Amino acid sequence: MTLVGEHALSYEFIGLRNYIKLITDPDFYNTLKLSFLFTALSALIGQAFLGLAIAMVLRKKGIVGKSLLSLAVFLAWIVPEVVAGYMWAIFAGKGGLMNILLSPFGIEPRNWLFEAPFETIIIANIWRGTAFSMILFTAVLESIPQYIYEAAEIDGATGWQRFRYITFPLIAYALMIDFILITIWTLNVFTMIFVMNGGGLGNATEIWTIFVYRRAFLPPYDVSYASAAANMMFIIVFLIILVYVKFAEKVRW
Amino acid sequence: MLKALKKEGEVKEKTKEIMLRKYLSYAIIYLFMSVLIVFFLSPFTWLVLSAFDPKASPNFRIPETYTIKWFVMLFEPISAYFRVRPIDWIINSIIISTSVATLVTLLSVMSAYPLTRFQFKGQKAILNIFVTLRLLPLVVVVIPIVLIFVKIGLMNTYLGLILVMTTMTLPFGLLIAEGYFRALPKEYEEAAMVDGLSRWEAFLYITLRLALPGITTIWLLSFVTAWGEFLLPLVILRRPSLYPASVGIYYWFGVYGRVEYGRISAFSIVYSIPVILVFLFTRRYLTRGVAGLVTR
Repeated sequence: MTLVGEHALSYEFIGLRNYIKLITDPDFYNTLKLSFLFTALSALIGQAFLGLAIAMVLRKKGIVGKSLLSLAVFLAWIVPEVVAGYMWAIFAGKGGLMNILLSPFGIEPRNWLFEAPFETIIIANIWRGTAFSMILFTAVLESIPQYIYEAAEIDGATGWQRFRYITFPLIAYALMIDFILITIWTLNVFTMIFVMNGGGLGNATEIWTIFVYRRAFLPPYDVSYASAAANMMFIIVFLIILVYVKFAEKVRW
Repeated sequence: MLKALKKEGEVKEKTKEIMLRKYLSYAIIYLFMSVLIVFFLSPFTWLVLSAFDPKASPNFRIPETYTIKWFVMLFEPISAYFRVRPIDWIINSIIISTSVATLVTLLSVMSAYPLTRFQFKGQKAILNIFVTLRLLPLVVVVIPIVLIFVKIGLMNTYLGLILVMTTMTLPFGLLIAEGYFRALPKEYEEAAMVDGLSRWEAFLYITLRLALPGITTIWLLSFVTAWGEFLLPLVILRRPSLYPASVGIYYWFGVYGRVEYGRISAFSIVYSIPVILVFLFTRRYLTRGVAGLVTR
């Protein structure tokens, strides 16, 4: 009883009052903005493109250290989320290794989670999730026969042309699948950010999962409002996925 | 004569240029790779170093002496007031994850078998419902679950936690099991039934035996999913002595006052090892699963 407060257990039909409150709540707009920026920057731009770049390097022959690279990326993906959050909270802290690595570039040491919290969680999420895109694109690139590239090279295609006219059309469908999955996963990220700074000072990193958790499980336990926000987000996410699926059908070879 | 010499010079020049460009591209690739390796490995370094550092603190440093006292101290209570031993959290995690993994494996094998061996109405719908359930964000589900649990008295119990975690992991287990059973030829089973085994015996001695690698994978992957689960135990369990290791780390690091970084790092390492081992063992299977999404 103490956990949820007595409001939640005595039902009363209030119509759309919670939803009306939601669309007039600046905090909710903040969380919407953060969630989508977070997904766009860390997943769609960060993870997908870094994963593709790594997969293309892994495909090159005669390069030493490829397995070390893929193992490092893979490790970041599989370590338990709580541990990842704990590690990153320290790593990005004032005395953390991040500051030591950045110091040769003339960047003053600072506590990144306080001074640039949103940028930090974006980078942390790129670190965390790139492995999936890497594995996916490695598999796709392996399925493209090498002789196509050799033929193109004989015909005088430049590196960029080879990517634009051979690789890209062949991976377009995989790219869509990758986008769908990493969008869903990134919008559902909770644990790592929560452990790193619990939504930030104020609400600097309050992505929607943390928004819902804070409203529902911290005083004053506004469970019904949190549920309304959760439902709303679920519908939005569902619509985005429908759009993606339409696109994916279009580019399927 | 002169022409030929000139041509030779041109060819040499051209080869030189091509070689130079090749070296340059190699240099760029190696630079890119080393930056990435540093980026992906550096967050781990502090975790590993501080677990062996007698004077561990959030400040990064290379310890002068090394110790295993933090690992030994996992068997001692966290403090005089907070009598929970970190190792108890690991034991809790083992109890929860083993139960969840076993239940998920049993249920997904038992439901995947009829789904692949019989034809009945609504077969596809069942699978689709499961896939959709998998897409549902946990945060959306967690609030109603807590409300229901408060009403029926399952809050703060392992029974409740294990039931929810099983439900949330089951779709994933079922999808793997369904794919695996579909790929197993029916003929072995039918041959065994012609030879006089009952369907149940044929399932038990033939199909299960053949599906053993798949079943092991389901068990291992559900185990690590449950092992890493954080949100559900966080909201369902309220007593620190009941926490699994994931919530334990958060509670110890984020909520509880006096922080012993060395001991938390040691604990995090012990907690991560099973997950890392399972994934390294199932890495090839995972890669093949991901490849199956996009190649035919």
